[in-house]
Amino acid sequence: MISYIIRRFLILPVILLGVSLLIFSMIMMLGPYQRLSTYITDPAQLKGAEDIDQLVTKYGLDDPWYEQYGRWISGVAQGDFGWSESAGAPVTRAIADRFPATIELALLSLIPVIFGGIILGVVSAVHHNKIIDHTIRIFAVIGWSFPSFVFGLLVLMIFYGVLGWLPPGRLSNWATEIVRSAEFVNYTGLYILDGILNLDFSIVLDAIRHMIAPVITISILWWAFILRITRSNMLETLKKDYIRTARAKGLADNIVVYKHAVRNALIPVVTVAGQMVLGLAGGLVIVESIFNIRGLGQFMANSAQQLDYPGVLGGALYFGFLLILINLFVDVSYAVIDPRIRLE
Amino acid sequence: MQKKLVVFLTLLLVVSVFSVVGAQEVTNPDTFVEVNMGTIDSLDPHFQYDSASAEIIDNVYENLIKFNEGDITDFMPHLATEVPTEENGLIRENGTVYEFPIREGVTFQNGDPLTPEDVKYSFLRALIQDRDGGPVWMIYEPLFQKGSLADVVTEVLGEEKSPSDLTAAESEEVYAYLEKAVEVDGNSVVFHLPKAFPPFLSIIAQGNGLGAIVDKEWSVEQGDWDGQPDSIAEYTNPTKEDDPLFDKMNGTGPYELVEWVNGEEVILNRNDDYWREPAPIKKVIIRMIDEWSTRKLMLQRGDADIVYVDKQYMSQVENMDGVEVITGLPNIYMGAGLMNFNIVTEGNPDVHSGKLDGNGIPSNFFSDIDVRKGFLYSMNYEAFINDVLNGDGQKGRGPIPEPLLGYDENSPTYELDLEKAEEHFKKAFDGELWEKGFEITILYNSGNDVRKSAVDMLKYYVEQINPKFKVNVRGIQWATYLDKLIANKFTLGFIAWGADYADPHNFVVPFLGSDGTYGGFKGKDYINFAKENIDPLIDEGISSTDPAKREEIYKELQQIAYDQALDFYLYQPSAQVVMRDWVEGWYYDPIRDPGQYFYSLDK
Repeated sequence: MISYIIRRFLILPVILLGVSLLIFSMIMMLGPYQRLSTYITDPAQLKGAEDIDQLVTKYGLDDPWYEQYGRWISGVAQGDFGWSESAGAPVTRAIADRFPATIELALLSLIPVIFGGIILGVVSAVHHNKIIDHTIRIFAVIGWSFPSFVFGLLVLMIFYGVLGWLPPGRLSNWATEIVRSAEFVNYTGLYILDGILNLDFSIVLDAIRHMIAPVITISILWWAFILRITRSNMLETLKKDYIRTARAKGLADNIVVYKHAVRNALIPVVTVAGQMVLGLAGGLVIVESIFNIRGLGQFMANSAQQLDYPGVLGGALYFGFLLILINLFVDVSYAVIDPRIRLE
Repeated sequence: MQKKLVVFLTLLLVVSVFSVVGAQEVTNPDTFVEVNMGTIDSLDPHFQYDSASAEIIDNVYENLIKFNEGDITDFMPHLATEVPTEENGLIRENGTVYEFPIREGVTFQNGDPLTPEDVKYSFLRALIQDRDGGPVWMIYEPLFQKGSLADVVTEVLGEEKSPSDLTAAESEEVYAYLEKAVEVDGNSVVFHLPKAFPPFLSIIAQGNGLGAIVDKEWSVEQGDWDGQPDSIAEYTNPTKEDDPLFDKMNGTGPYELVEWVNGEEVILNRNDDYWREPAPIKKVIIRMIDEWSTRKLMLQRGDADIVYVDKQYMSQVENMDGVEVITGLPNIYMGAGLMNFNIVTEGNPDVHSGKLDGNGIPSNFFSDIDVRKGFLYSMNYEAFINDVLNGDGQKGRGPIPEPLLGYDENSPTYELDLEKAEEHFKKAFDGELWEKGFEITILYNSGNDVRKSAVDMLKYYVEQINPKFKVNVRGIQWATYLDKLIANKFTLGFIAWGADYADPHNFVVPFLGSDGTYGGFKGKDYINFAKENIDPLIDEGISSTDPAKREEIYKELQQIAYDQALDFYLYQPSAQVVMRDWVEGWYYDPIRDPGQYFYSLDK
């Protein structure tokens, strides 16, 4: 298995290079004046044709594509991923600044989504066509078909606008002041974890309070997704001969379901969960916008909209790296869940 | 037992989380929260050229003079102890010498004292930095009658050369030229202008970061221009990443920068050592939230004291409890439609056949004054103001908006008049246009609903006049729109211009001048026309110190714009502000808008 993992890591730079070339060439298909929109975002910033051409020259927008790519890739080789105009910061800093918020949200969302989805899926399958199954299925359909921007706004309006319980942002003003003070050590940028490590539980609680609404919004969608997949796989597994045999042997129902059936039904769920983790860790533009969380989703969307190619490429590399890492994790998980699978 | 423990711990967590909620409901009168949208471009006062950056700069840095509570005709001393006038002898030699006595006892936020040398350094730093697409052209014009450092280099060296390629010796020559304009004389700083330039005070007043004073010693420590004559090449035209003051600030203003997290928030703390009384509010938080619903809820909950509201959402806040809405504030701004006199037809689908054959338009379509007049009479200006802007604005009467010199509320304007439109279309191209018809595509940048509505209206009315007239409307991304403008491929395009400073010169140049921002994009026929008929008047208007004479000149330019049907001067929108009713001390400043001056605010 270790050699498999090493091989996957070795192939990583080749894939990332390919991804960057592909994206770069797509951006280069636009003319230099179109790409100038990265720097001129409003008509009032236009000032005579002379200045415009100077800007094109200054940022090398009319250089041959291979020169522009060469500049970028040689910077990358030295750890400089370029300047993101849309973020107003170096790409590495733009990603590093937003990474903790995205990961904190992703990790917190995973807990209710995966465990809630799997448990409800199993319960639904076990009580196939009974009232509890129907209820869960209706819940799943509603959750799956509810657009996140509608549900998110409803959550915000009720729990913040009316009740005032769950405000937007990652922390309250007073907590932000503490977190940015010299006394508070930012170990990870994940406020809940940093609060624990600093033994400041008011920060932990405040961070949790701010995360509840976005986590609920994300969960309601993905919960339903995982639930449906778990349910259908469980139903299939429960019909298998070895389950019937286990029951015939007189094993308790709980043991049959949770020890024998669930484990086998989980493989497709792991695959889907992997994609879900990727989606969450890549950032969620809508949830981030509604709940004012400065995450990677907004960064990538803004970069693309503004044709900010260092930002787009930086985001793509991050995403590519994540994709490979998560796929690897999923592959390894297969082997753990099902010992018959061997990674070569 | 284990289950009970889990339930207990869960309950404890829930209770703890919501107990924090209670503690948070205590409002803090010492903190002012503004919720805005967008991003801040730079915190360098001489680099920034956007309103979001200007707001921060206006509260941290200070200029020599300022407007008296938003009155653009009344200046107050600020870092200077007196406003130069001819009466007090600080404006001399026919308006070409301006002297500013510098206030003593003022310190920068790091404790350094303000000196006249800092003032000189600040202006020379701006002149040397002069980044492409930046704001420094505004002071090149009064100080040198030029547009940029590159123009100065050309004059001094007698050849075109990029300022970033100057040798040390050339740099010294150019520096000597620049330095003549800004001189330290005892405790005063004296500016020498080659010709009178009436808006000079407006340009360097508070609200325009270009005239902000930075601390020389501190700036050099940060790695900024070292103040040496031979180093222009090293410091000119920086990118943001190379600009040492991009994210650092040290001004003399009422607030100091604590933190800037771009795209998220800016935190300012009161400067307790401020040379005037310290500000009433201790801390200011400016939060950037693009989602309107979130901004609205923050206002409703009182978590935001002032929020940015787009016009289309104003009805949602008008009757909100505890919220004050002020509308109809005069905005020095002009939304206009440009007609391109020489459209590039090659590879341009918006001209269709590219010929006057009924299936397209020729390159010189808008060179014909009757075509322009036909279009101008086909716009329902009244409906546009009432229905699209919800009455929150007024029709433009030329390139110069109210209340600037030259604006006349009785000057002639175009109205919707389809009979007159028909009359002009019939005359256009000697009747050939009416007979054959045309097809044109008019673009707008996607997401700008105001511009889309303007174009839709034109289509609606123009197509009524003659069934052979076909107008297509297409929304495109800003990047493509920009490309079309620069490449002269736009047919008719709606754009806007907001005041850089309070003078009609700042409007007639971009709209009408042969090398103006927009005038320059209207094709060679227009440029030739402007060189002959517009530029001499612009030059005369800016070099006269007699307000009455200037007024006449600007009125004449407004009249030419009307007679020649040069552009659609569609609307001058009003500004609005939405804030909690506990906010005190707010006043409107049309140059600062939409930024706030937190020093005057309390709650």
